[in-house]
Amino acid sequence: MKHLPAARLVASTMLIAAAIPASAETVVTQWDQFASSGITAAGPAMDELIAACEKVLPDIKILRTVVPSIGIRESYRLAVSADKTPDLAYTWPAASVLAGYARTGKVAPLDAYYAKYKWDGINDFYRGRNSYKGNIYGVPMEQDLMGVYYNRDLFKKLGLEVPKTYAEFQAVAAKVKEAGYVPIAFGNRDRWPATNTLSLVLGLTAGREAEEKVLFGDGSWTDPAFKKAAETIADWAKEGYFPRGFNGIGYDEANALFLGGRAAMTITGTWVLQDMARGAKFDLGVFMLPPISEGVPAGTMWGEGSQWQIAASAPEATKDAAAAYVDCLISPEHRQVWVEKGFLVPIGTKAEDLAAWNTLPAVKEFYAEGLKTPDTNFYDLHTTLPESVTQVLYPELQRLVGGDATPDQFLDAMQQSWSKAVANGERWQP
Amino acid sequence: MTSQRTAILFVLPALALYLAFVGLPILQVAAYSLFTWDNGSVTGFAGLANFTRLGGDTVFWTALGHNGIWVVLTLAFPLMIGLLLASILAECSPRTVRILGAIYFLPRTIPLVVAGIIWGWIYNPMFGLANWALDMVGLGALGGAWLAEPSTALYALNVVGAWTFFGFCVLIYLAAIQAIDPSLYEAAQLDGASWLKRFRFVTVPLLKPTTLFLGLYAAIEAMRFFDLVWVTTQGGPGYDTEVLTTHIYKTFFLVGDFGYAATLSVVLLAIVLTVSGVSYRLLRSA
Repeated sequence: MKHLPAARLVASTMLIAAAIPASAETVVTQWDQFASSGITAAGPAMDELIAACEKVLPDIKILRTVVPSIGIRESYRLAVSADKTPDLAYTWPAASVLAGYARTGKVAPLDAYYAKYKWDGINDFYRGRNSYKGNIYGVPMEQDLMGVYYNRDLFKKLGLEVPKTYAEFQAVAAKVKEAGYVPIAFGNRDRWPATNTLSLVLGLTAGREAEEKVLFGDGSWTDPAFKKAAETIADWAKEGYFPRGFNGIGYDEANALFLGGRAAMTITGTWVLQDMARGAKFDLGVFMLPPISEGVPAGTMWGEGSQWQIAASAPEATKDAAAAYVDCLISPEHRQVWVEKGFLVPIGTKAEDLAAWNTLPAVKEFYAEGLKTPDTNFYDLHTTLPESVTQVLYPELQRLVGGDATPDQFLDAMQQSWSKAVANGERWQP
Repeated sequence: MTSQRTAILFVLPALALYLAFVGLPILQVAAYSLFTWDNGSVTGFAGLANFTRLGGDTVFWTALGHNGIWVVLTLAFPLMIGLLLASILAECSPRTVRILGAIYFLPRTIPLVVAGIIWGWIYNPMFGLANWALDMVGLGALGGAWLAEPSTALYALNVVGAWTFFGFCVLIYLAAIQAIDPSLYEAAQLDGASWLKRFRFVTVPLLKPTTLFLGLYAAIEAMRFFDLVWVTTQGGPGYDTEVLTTHIYKTFFLVGDFGYAATLSVVLLAIVLTVSGVSYRLLRSA
């Protein structure tokens, strides 16, 4: 008898709840890293696209949270471990980290949505980077490329031509140094920039096929081609291609050194293209680093920046809604918004598209060059390796370029960490 | 009896909060260390396997060594400078004490993150004040990339730590010196003791409990600090400024190995508790 009032209360609440018609709107919680300025300055474009997509998909409501890109990896990891994973997230990196969430069943496979929405603009390389054991778990969006930004005015002043071979590149660097300028603006205090440089050097020394033998096969880090890559980047440091104290210079400071006209080149990616193009007070040019080893085809490091991923724990209706919304975001008609207002180039965008759209000449030039070699473009190490290996790569690479470790010591440390990660099942395989 | 019950009642809310926000998380972390984790998800029971990994973890031993060096350097410099400055300051006019005390204490009020950013600029190899100042006095050849070279990185960081800590030592020592009976100094002066002798035979012995307190406080802080290293070097170059807290952070947030990160945290807690226990005993006996 004592429980009667409570039972009545529950029953009446249930009756009231049943009487209210269920809302047809599906709410999708979204985390993304698009701010209003800086590397990921696509915040206003994101807002515009949410409004556009909610109009096209009136049954879907997006609840957006902006998480700074610098901490989104950590925030997402905590959210996943606390079972508070947002329905939809745009985080970095793909490949190894995404594979970790796929392995533990925290992100939903998207194969059915790929088939339903025919996301054919995402090529096999990018699909592979977002796959784990045969299933696709992410929808990559930004097309990132690595290249060499150079100061055309300074090149002209020093009588230099854009190098077509690696020997010419070395000659250019030597002449720049002789003239009292820094050949390559490079700062590695943040630890990750050198991994990008090594990724580019490795691809041009070993080639994609040899990389895949190690990354996905039984190959070893002590492979001679890998050793040549380690020797090359160590030599650059030894030859004085980099500014003094580069391990104590921040990435942004290195970019400022280049934009300030004190360095002739900087080797980095399209993620700072807008900042470079707008910040340069000189004629900004871009070229692709020529192959370093003989017989290795031309190419560049490319990646996806970040990718959309859907929580495995989300209700099915929410997953469907999130996929429909992502389809809207990456649709060909919205690519132009990303390019013109979001300052990023979505995967699948062609050089011809960019030529027709309202974007900076440097953007058109960079992508025209980088997209010429889709079959030979190669991997970005720090998003491809398991995190436990990346955390060895960062310090060991600082030691290598700083002259505190030999190429052999560097590769031995990498191989040791790699073997451990492979044995632990941490390796990402498409 | 009533007063005891009342006392317990007064203590209870604070105790409950302490248990909820300190005790429980500590137990949780200790429990985490007994499991294997993959990207923030438990994958199995590990027993003490995470603890046996410590023996072969060279980064852990390197980091622990750096914490040890930090403790020694903190005990050697900020405390000594603090003691010396406080002794000099104690003989100045109250106005000078107020002004200089405030100036010395100012760095202590700056958050370590901000101090790290400021000193990062000072040490910057491209535009840093340190190299510029050396250039100005004709010692440009001694300049370098202070935070980027293995031989200088940890010591350069320790200077920042000392800069933020010495003012605190000055104030604590000053308060302690002002509490010393002035007749002891008068007696020593009448016996013809110089300033140095008064400092050596009166001030220093009577400040033993204060020195113990500051030393042990510094030792505990030296095991716990994180922000200064993270904003300046992230443990680099290589592992040259790696400390236990940065190793824990990387293992937890970046690698996602919550079990091993928890193990490292348990070890750190054990070290800090041991230091605290020793300090408690020493302070009681002083």
